[in-house]
Amino acid sequence: MRPNRKTLPRLLTYLALLLGTVAFLGPFLWQIRSSFMALADIFGYPPVWWPKDPQWQNYVDVFNIIPFATYYLNTVLIVLWNIAGSLISNICIAFALARIPFRGRKTLFALSIGTLMLPAAVTMIPTYIEWSWLGGLNSFLPLTVPSFFGNAFFIFLLVQFFRAIPREYDEAAFVDGAGYPQILLKLIVPMAQPAIAVVVIFTFLNTWNDFMGPLLYLNDSKLFTLALGLKSLLSSYNSYWHLLMAGATLVALPLIVVFFFAQKSFIEGLTAGGIKG
Amino acid sequence: MTFRKDSLWGWVFCLPLVLGLSIWVAFPLGVAVVMSLFKWNMISPAQFIGLGNYVFMFFADHLFWQSLSVMALYTVLSVPLQLVLAFGLALLLNTKVRGMGVFRTIFYLPSLIPTVVSTALWLWLFNPQYGFFNLILDAVGLPAVDWLTSPDMVISSLVLMSLWSVGNIVIIFLAGLQGIPKELEEATEVDGGNLWHRLRHVIFPFMSPVIFYNLVMGVIAGLQIFTQPYIMTNGGPANSSLTYVLHLYKQAFQFSKMGYANALALVLLIVTVILSLIVFKSSDKWVYYDGDKK
Amino acid sequence: MKKGFAVAAALILQVCLAVAGLSAENTKLTFMFWGSPAEDQAIRKALKDFEAANPGITVTPLYAVYSGAEYDAKMKAMSESDTLPDVGYFGGSFYDYASNDFFLDMTPYVEKEGLKKDYLPQTWLTYKDKIYGAYTAAESQVVYYNKKTLQDAGVALPPTDYKKAWTWDQYVAAWTKLTIDKGGKHPGEAGFDPKKIVRFGVFHETWDQMLFPVVWSNGGDIFSEDGKQILIDSPETIQAIQRLADLKNKNMVMSAPGLTEYNSTSKADPKVLLQNGQIGFYVSGQWELLDFAGMKFPLGIGALPIQKKPAQLYVSGINVIFKKTKNPDAAWKLQKWMMTPDKTLDLYARGLWMPTKSSWYTDKADLAKWTDNAAHPAGFKEAVLDSMTISRVAPARIKNYSQIWSEFVNPELDLIWLGKQSAEVGLKKAADKVRKSGLLQGLW
Repeated sequence: MRPNRKTLPRLLTYLALLLGTVAFLGPFLWQIRSSFMALADIFGYPPVWWPKDPQWQNYVDVFNIIPFATYYLNTVLIVLWNIAGSLISNICIAFALARIPFRGRKTLFALSIGTLMLPAAVTMIPTYIEWSWLGGLNSFLPLTVPSFFGNAFFIFLLVQFFRAIPREYDEAAFVDGAGYPQILLKLIVPMAQPAIAVVVIFTFLNTWNDFMGPLLYLNDSKLFTLALGLKSLLSSYNSYWHLLMAGATLVALPLIVVFFFAQKSFIEGLTAGGIKG
Repeated sequence: MTFRKDSLWGWVFCLPLVLGLSIWVAFPLGVAVVMSLFKWNMISPAQFIGLGNYVFMFFADHLFWQSLSVMALYTVLSVPLQLVLAFGLALLLNTKVRGMGVFRTIFYLPSLIPTVVSTALWLWLFNPQYGFFNLILDAVGLPAVDWLTSPDMVISSLVLMSLWSVGNIVIIFLAGLQGIPKELEEATEVDGGNLWHRLRHVIFPFMSPVIFYNLVMGVIAGLQIFTQPYIMTNGGPANSSLTYVLHLYKQAFQFSKMGYANALALVLLIVTVILSLIVFKSSDKWVYYDGDKK
Repeated sequence: MKKGFAVAAALILQVCLAVAGLSAENTKLTFMFWGSPAEDQAIRKALKDFEAANPGITVTPLYAVYSGAEYDAKMKAMSESDTLPDVGYFGGSFYDYASNDFFLDMTPYVEKEGLKKDYLPQTWLTYKDKIYGAYTAAESQVVYYNKKTLQDAGVALPPTDYKKAWTWDQYVAAWTKLTIDKGGKHPGEAGFDPKKIVRFGVFHETWDQMLFPVVWSNGGDIFSEDGKQILIDSPETIQAIQRLADLKNKNMVMSAPGLTEYNSTSKADPKVLLQNGQIGFYVSGQWELLDFAGMKFPLGIGALPIQKKPAQLYVSGINVIFKKTKNPDAAWKLQKWMMTPDKTLDLYARGLWMPTKSSWYTDKADLAKWTDNAAHPAGFKEAVLDSMTISRVAPARIKNYSQIWSEFVNPELDLIWLGKQSAEVGLKKAADKVRKSGLLQGLW
């Protein structure tokens, strides 16, 4: 009886998963297939599902035709800075907003959330001008420094998480003579691992794929990031599709690996405390 | 004593936020407001023209109204579709199937691919002659579709493409689903409730804050869509995919009308705030928070 | 002992000289440019050669991954922040910048070295009689085809003499013969299915510069000589544009034209399609030779179609020296280097550029230096080179050109190419809008 009732829903579930996989994975597989083909064959008709002669060469050529390795290094550098800045600033800010009763706390929190509604287009040009006054153009500064000043989404997330941790811990620590810094470092941070994992992963993701920032602020191609590097393969005169596909696969690979292994804590981090509040 | 210490610590920890709000939000906003009253092309000195930019925007710039309607159309189509699809996928990915981790990664994959690449991929898929979609249509005997080359189809194509990247929304829904207390779920199962019943009485109410969050973020993101039309169609054909932010970008960087671009940006801010407030107000009617007894 | 002394003295002298060399000028220049990765490599080589020939000067290449409007935008941003390069390519708004004193006046250098007479007259760009820019190269429009494709289809090879080229109708006939659908039928035959075309006869680029020779060949024009009138709705221009639009909609020999505002990323690379035999002809600029050279297939060149008279385009990017450069003399040296075909032969021999130095068109020895190679197939001289004598410079001095074109003309052209409106209706609409916009303000 039990198996019978559950078989149909189970079947449907598998079917849905299958369809979904085809739909979501399909374009990506197309990308990989094309990354192993010569440029002339990619547009061939009728289309080839898998090349008879896989061009591993493309993966090597990507590094030759543009300084791909440099772009990789640049991107990693910016990502590391951003993760550091993100963690330091958002954890401190969220801790204060969630755990320290002080005047103005509610207003600050509201203002921070308010910035979520601010379209990037509004601050894009003035921020660019600000950086030109500060002499930060054509450097990594505009792409890394802002992360040290907090991010509304992460603050929101962490506040929700921190609020869920019972106050008794704090009280006990106070009695023991601890101050706020100790509570933060020794108590809250260890308990907030999942949420912190979310911050790290999202920061990594956003920075890795960021296109607008580098487009605006980087002139010297020695400083380019992967996102810009990929775009350069699609110039107005030439589209090196085969190299672009290879490059794109190389760019996506680290992200896929990171996500696959981190997804459990990722989802946990979003769950506990909830986005509900 | 504790009070003053609290205040001190609170502000110390929040210093980055305060500085951030001043440097990256308040100041640029102020600059934007001031610049919107000038005419400036970045190479000649700026000219003060008061509300001239706004007058031009509302009464003389036909592209302003065009881009507003494009943006509205895109948002109205994409947000509900994205929410429904993401919710369905989240339910799907919440079932107990072996290897769910792999499936979750697959569905999230599109969000991991840089936008530049995913737009290039979809450009390829949409290609009228050699693109995958038209090839499939041809194989089943259906006529080819002018995905990006028809003014009537182009927004729908962009919406379709956006559905591929719902991974982010799915993850948040999934997290929400996992936060539903198990007892409640099991209770309805025992009562003989089927999926629809569970959805109506348990899942939706519990998920309503999450749906609300995704709705607000979805609307805000929809209003700002830029990279895809920029790379794929540059607003064409005949401005039928000229989204608001794309129009803004072109005015700023292609035609050097910096003052005007800032005016456009401020109008966008106002529109965003108004729409967000509307959604917020409506939330009173359908969003339940923990602690609201039913 | 004496020997030791001599050695020591020699060593000390060497060290002194080395130190003197070090403390001599180590001038740093930056050069900004755009182009395909192949062009990037070619330019870098030219810059490296310059450094070798000019010890003490180093040049940092700034390669832009975007061109056209984006490059312009980047320039503006850089000018705002005082980070402009010393020398570099420049795009559309040249006169905007020239009139705002952004470029170094090159007249003294040019006159001192007596260069004017050595170069094609249109090379030098002046504003108020001062030379502020020089055309990087000479570039033109070319008809390319795949010899094998034509031979297999039984289509005669087009003539190469630009004065004796095929007429538009003759070309359309050839294109029709080349276009086949899945069932092997040509346009006009019973059973021809335009939705199942396997090979297109032609792909004709339709971005603004590529339209001019077609319009000119029919006796039409875009703007009046004084830039105060727009002439796109003249009957000759309308007819020319309609002929182009008909290629897709009526003759069915062309796939969807590159819609005006699209980045070319939206279509499959026509060069590759030409190689594969998926298109028979490709009409584009002569810079494509650079990439064709690396593709192994029998490339042919034909003379541009003649409607009422032969026409040819002269177009190019502009090289400028920015006024704020800290090393004007060194910058001029670099600029001159980039203009001297002997020094940057690679860029010409590989097909990317055509020289601006007059002798390189007429002097047999110079001519051979850059055309006698695989990158320049037979027919290049008669079809392209010789046609440069009748070439017209693309309208660049028109005030507000890019805004006029992008805001008013392009959207109408989009609809014309899609077949949603006739050229007559669309061009008249565009012209009226332009006249009402107040943007027609003559020449710089």
